[in-house]
Amino acid sequence: MSSMLGKRAVSSFISLMVLIVLVFFLSRLTGDPAALYLPVDASEEMRQNFREIHGLNDPVLVQFGHYLADLVRFDFGDSLRKARPALEVVLEAFTWTLELALITMALVTAAAIALGSLAAFNIGSPLDRIASLLSLIGASAPDFWIAIVGIVLFSVSLGWLPTSGTGSVWHWILPISVLFIRPFGLILQVVRGSMITALGSAYVKTARAKGVKNRPIIFVHTLRNAMLPVITVIGDQAAALLNGAVVVETIFGFPGVGKLMIDSILQRDFNVILAAIMVTALAIFVMNLLIDIAYALLDPRIRT
Amino acid sequence: MKYITALAGLLLASTAMSPAFAQDNHDVTVVLAEEADVIEPCMATRSNIGRIVLQNISETLTELDVRGDKGLMPRLAESWEMAGDNTWRFHLREGVKFSDGSDFDAEDVKHSFERAGSDQITCEISRYYEGIDITPKVVDAHTIDFTTEPAQPILPLLLSLLTIVPSETPLEFTRNPIGTGPYMLAEWNPGQDIKLARRDDYWGEAPAVTGATYLFRTDAAVRAAMVQTGEADIAPSISATDATDPEMDFSYPNSETTYLRIDQNVAPLGDKRVREALNLALDREAFIGTILAEGTQIATAINVPTTLGWNPDVTAWPYDPDKARALLAEAKADGVPVETTISLIGRTGNFPGATEVFEAIQGMLTDVGFNIDLQMVEVAEHEQYYSKPYVEDRPILVGAQHDNSRGDPVFSMYFKYHSEGRQSGINDPKVDELIETATAATGEERSALWSELFAYLHDDVVADVLLFHMVGHARVGGRVDFTPTIATNSSLQLSEIGFK
Repeated sequence: MSSMLGKRAVSSFISLMVLIVLVFFLSRLTGDPAALYLPVDASEEMRQNFREIHGLNDPVLVQFGHYLADLVRFDFGDSLRKARPALEVVLEAFTWTLELALITMALVTAAAIALGSLAAFNIGSPLDRIASLLSLIGASAPDFWIAIVGIVLFSVSLGWLPTSGTGSVWHWILPISVLFIRPFGLILQVVRGSMITALGSAYVKTARAKGVKNRPIIFVHTLRNAMLPVITVIGDQAAALLNGAVVVETIFGFPGVGKLMIDSILQRDFNVILAAIMVTALAIFVMNLLIDIAYALLDPRIRT
Repeated sequence: MKYITALAGLLLASTAMSPAFAQDNHDVTVVLAEEADVIEPCMATRSNIGRIVLQNISETLTELDVRGDKGLMPRLAESWEMAGDNTWRFHLREGVKFSDGSDFDAEDVKHSFERAGSDQITCEISRYYEGIDITPKVVDAHTIDFTTEPAQPILPLLLSLLTIVPSETPLEFTRNPIGTGPYMLAEWNPGQDIKLARRDDYWGEAPAVTGATYLFRTDAAVRAAMVQTGEADIAPSISATDATDPEMDFSYPNSETTYLRIDQNVAPLGDKRVREALNLALDREAFIGTILAEGTQIATAINVPTTLGWNPDVTAWPYDPDKARALLAEAKADGVPVETTISLIGRTGNFPGATEVFEAIQGMLTDVGFNIDLQMVEVAEHEQYYSKPYVEDRPILVGAQHDNSRGDPVFSMYFKYHSEGRQSGINDPKVDELIETATAATGEERSALWSELFAYLHDDVVADVLLFHMVGHARVGGRVDFTPTIATNSSLQLSEIGFK
């Protein structure tokens, strides 16, 4: 198992390195930060001065050298726009994203596994049909639309929940509900399909023939075997959430890393872009490792 | 069960703290579109920062009256006069204290000016002082002279933009702005909110608002909903489509003018008949009340009508597609390549409905025989077309917005129309001369020169395709008494807010 994890870690590390190089050069290709940061009628002198202060006049390779050296020390420099350390800005935003992603994924996983298993066990029943319908709606509904409709319905018309923001527990309900819907739909489908396959397998038939009851069949025999594809999908969905839920963050005014990244790209705030990409890449790297471990624990064949 | 009780308790406790239930005091909540990246007084000309800082935390020597017709009013300066040809003398208010307790004096003004222009930080307000050599000199604790080269007739107006900071303020962006204004920064939770608190030791009359919370929501519909539900009191900018409630929603001239900038260096745009045809081909009336909000005005100048020297005798171009076609035919007969494809560059999200407006313009121009290729680009790319050095491999019309609510055309004219201007598409010696003379002139003469220039640009040069003076929309909750003005686009004085 450790050699498998070692291999995975090395390959992830290489992709991280490629990412570092790509990010630097791609972001430099897209435009001059001085043109964007300064007002349109700023003089050439102001622009020149701005480039000088921020080291944008150096040759690109020299800038790349500085960037690598700073990266090793985990120093991303200051945000051009916010005049404070880029890493601090990113970690602040990432904390919100992480909380949002963890809570959402925990709820999604629990709900999708419970409902998916029950549906698979009772194929064709009303419960199964409702679950399939729900998952189809969930997987295909546009989240910006759900978010706005949610605000109009629950905040403006009914007055139950605040429209947006972060002040209290109530503020989390709408964003989490909106984020919940899509992964829930997807994972529910995968759980159901995977469980149906497992329930039709030879070992379940054997167990039934031996007179094992329904509950142990679901929870002891099939669930563990059916979980492998489910974990992959959970990993994918969680990675998407860790990248920031841009739509939800934008609409609900949640200060997460997705919106920060988009804003920084539009403003060519290089240091923040780099710090944000590194932090999220590292988080996804760690999460992939966790998924590999979970895989190995569930399936002894992988451990070699 | 224990957990459920605890959770219920938590929820109840949070309900009590939520803003919707806590408004029986005189604090207000303002919801803005974009978070302030810094709360730096020398960046107050940027609207998301200015709406928080300007005249709330930091004050200026003079202030332009946008609610009445008093013109330039005293603020931290009590009076000012010319003291010699090139020198303005300002008499400062006495007994004013900064929020850190220190006294306000002439040294602070000198430092604020020098700091704004320092090459160690990129302060945005300093761009208004470029091209003029200004030297501040402290006469005594409450008198300061500004000597300029060349003479600067509107220096007192220029100083309505200079936010005053204490002389100890370092030459780097501060995170703790200290000012003389009626409010001070109380709390700043990046990404979430900014809170101001009223000062007890403010020199002027105490305003009714005791404190303000600024929230940031990108989505205009959410901002409008927040005022509707009482989560916020004022949303200074919502979209026209959300401004549906006449009880709460106001429209105000937002001082932005939309226009198509023409680079006359590239054929066929150097031909005046072609430029006239561009103007005659557009049915400007048709946009108002349809794609653009009711209240939008047709522009005859790059500056809004409240600007000094704005010329009421200039009339907008009529919609006359037949004449446009005739002009194009005439130009073509003279060998002007009128069929060349002209790029129309628009900026995505420049204003609500921007894409639709540029598509309609493309349609109308095509209708009279132009060959228009519309490209909607994002801000960084747009800037590459908008400012010099221009892309000159093909004829280009740049659709853009210009904002000048400062009351004088000087902030627009040089860089939009002078042959050296960074965003000028023309090269006309008479225009250059008029701009230079008007910039140095005072009083009636100044106003007359600007008027002459406005007419000359519109009727004789046909410098650009002027389109509209735009309106913005604000939503104001029932609890507060506030009327937006042209200044609401760049500032939001808490002292102008009352309660019903």
